[in-house]
Amino acid sequence: MELTQGKALSTVERLYQDYGFRARELKGQGEKIIGYVCSFVPLELIKASGAIPFRIRGNIFEPITKGDTLLETIVCPYYRSCFDLSVKDKYEFLSGVVIPHGCDSMVRSFSTWSYGLPYSYFHFVNIPTVCEESSFEFFEEELNTFRKSLEKFFGKTITDEELSRVIRIYNENREKVRALYELRKADPPLISGTELTMTLTAGSSLPIEEANDLFDQVVAEVKARGSSPLKKGPRILIDGACLDHIELIKLVEDLGGHVVADAICNGARDHFPKTDVTLPPIKALSQRYLDKVNCPKTYRANKAGTFEGDIANRFGDIGAYAKEFKAEGAILYVYKYCDPFGFEVPARKAYYQSLNLPMLHLEDIYSAGTMGQLRTRIQAFLEMIG
Amino acid sequence: MILTLGIDIGSAQSKGMLLGEEGPLNSFECASGVDFKRTALRIQEELLSRSGKSLDEIKRTVATGYGSKSVVFADDMRPDIVCLAKGISSLLPTVRTLIDVGDLYTKILRTDGNGQVHNFLLSGKCAGGSGRILQVIAKVLQIKVEDIGELSLKSKKRVEFSTGCAVFAESEAISRLSQEVTKEDLLAGLHRALAAQFNSLAERVGIEMDVAMTGGGAKDIGLVQSFSEIRKHPILVPPNPQMTAALGAAIIARESLTG
Repeated sequence: MELTQGKALSTVERLYQDYGFRARELKGQGEKIIGYVCSFVPLELIKASGAIPFRIRGNIFEPITKGDTLLETIVCPYYRSCFDLSVKDKYEFLSGVVIPHGCDSMVRSFSTWSYGLPYSYFHFVNIPTVCEESSFEFFEEELNTFRKSLEKFFGKTITDEELSRVIRIYNENREKVRALYELRKADPPLISGTELTMTLTAGSSLPIEEANDLFDQVVAEVKARGSSPLKKGPRILIDGACLDHIELIKLVEDLGGHVVADAICNGARDHFPKTDVTLPPIKALSQRYLDKVNCPKTYRANKAGTFEGDIANRFGDIGAYAKEFKAEGAILYVYKYCDPFGFEVPARKAYYQSLNLPMLHLEDIYSAGTMGQLRTRIQAFLEMIG
Repeated sequence: MILTLGIDIGSAQSKGMLLGEEGPLNSFECASGVDFKRTALRIQEELLSRSGKSLDEIKRTVATGYGSKSVVFADDMRPDIVCLAKGISSLLPTVRTLIDVGDLYTKILRTDGNGQVHNFLLSGKCAGGSGRILQVIAKVLQIKVEDIGELSLKSKKRVEFSTGCAVFAESEAISRLSQEVTKEDLLAGLHRALAAQFNSLAERVGIEMDVAMTGGGAKDIGLVQSFSEIRKHPILVPPNPQMTAALGAAIIARESLTG
């Protein structure tokens, strides 16, 4: 049985396919759009400055051409695709770009972005790679620097009151994402993994209020299905970096599995952690982005003293998601040359073993051309656990 | 008689196994060519005529391998990993780790002796570490791929082969030959390089004894021996190792008939 697509999911599909069309419209109406990559740009500050944050996406169907004349192939293919589309004017509606220290590729290629693109605003968010007391002090100062830089560019003061108001809107957004994830819990799930990732990806191209409305509509539309028309199949958790295209998830679902949980950037990693509204806004943001977003780029000291204890501390959120969403297998999907995830594969493997959760590790380039090779592996994996 | 058919369409060779109630009746192998549909039909026809059976006696056909989708008359398609585990468990039930050296991939899997897969790994996305390199080298040396094994065993001084990439291996082989390295020593070096790649895959999956090798690559006695030398334990090879997945597919077909 096919899932029926109502008005909300049709809107999602259009926003997903023609990524950026709404931002282009808004730019035409005089709005300022600021592009960003990764989970570590505090979007609340951009929003509070009056601009609209827009997540830069790659395209696995578009061969990397012009981008590779400016960036070496040592950079991961996902990030190269994002850059390639940007230098090919796909995101011409942007007024600027903000890049955080999310991985080696981001920090070392920041200057290439700023030379290669015609935008008038560039900012690099220097987020610490360790998570100690001094890191929070540093990061609060860094957030104030970012705040001043935005104030200067837009000629507008960002007040604490406005920032607190925006933080609440973003927290609402995270609750709505949670509501979308709740729809995955049924067996078979009420919402497919493909639909969910498409919805979140579409949301990252919209002003936050519009994303909130859209997510509400999708939740209502999917709930109205009552029961799932899908056939039962192995429940899969996807672990990895940014998966801003649906092809891998769709492949799993075409082969009879269901993607019901994730630990990916444009999934649980980005959307689950909320900001503490009882703290002063900058302090609260520094805690959320530095500590609560659990990414391998952050080194966390081994407080347990043992390897087993350490991996349980570092990856505990994955185990919790696997349990909450009743995952029966995991796919660790890592892009070639991804430094944060690449280093972690053996430790993550050991962690899945400790959970007794079968895991398939896939290394891939960011290209639709590899789907056939992935199919062979995923098919065998689903049979193995099914 | 109730017959089942397993068809394995590989990227280079296609294999068929006709299974009767008492065991295999007949097997057939041919080049896959470019028209997989026609190849699959040819396998079906050959097996029937060689066994003197009629089409309606085949109660179920299971297809596997790279071109399994092209077996339009198949009742089911199963991943080759699953078929290999099933096939080897029937041929050599003590095997817990299997290395299948095919043209497209080398696959390593762990099984429990009942045909259940516990873990698996495939070689990289390029031809590095797959059996394709053996064909490439046979062409360079102007010898038959079947003769590689025996020839390599005559090596007196194995060359150090630096690459696992099939494309670079070809140019490396040519430059070595121009330095008057013998065919025998070159092949032994190539086997060693391949075996080292298998070993790294095997270490990642984890080896449990017994270990077997299948696929077209397992017909190369030099390759099997080289892998055994690196592993420091014997490697089992079933008769007609390239037929393992087709046999597994035919067994799976039979099992789904009997429920």
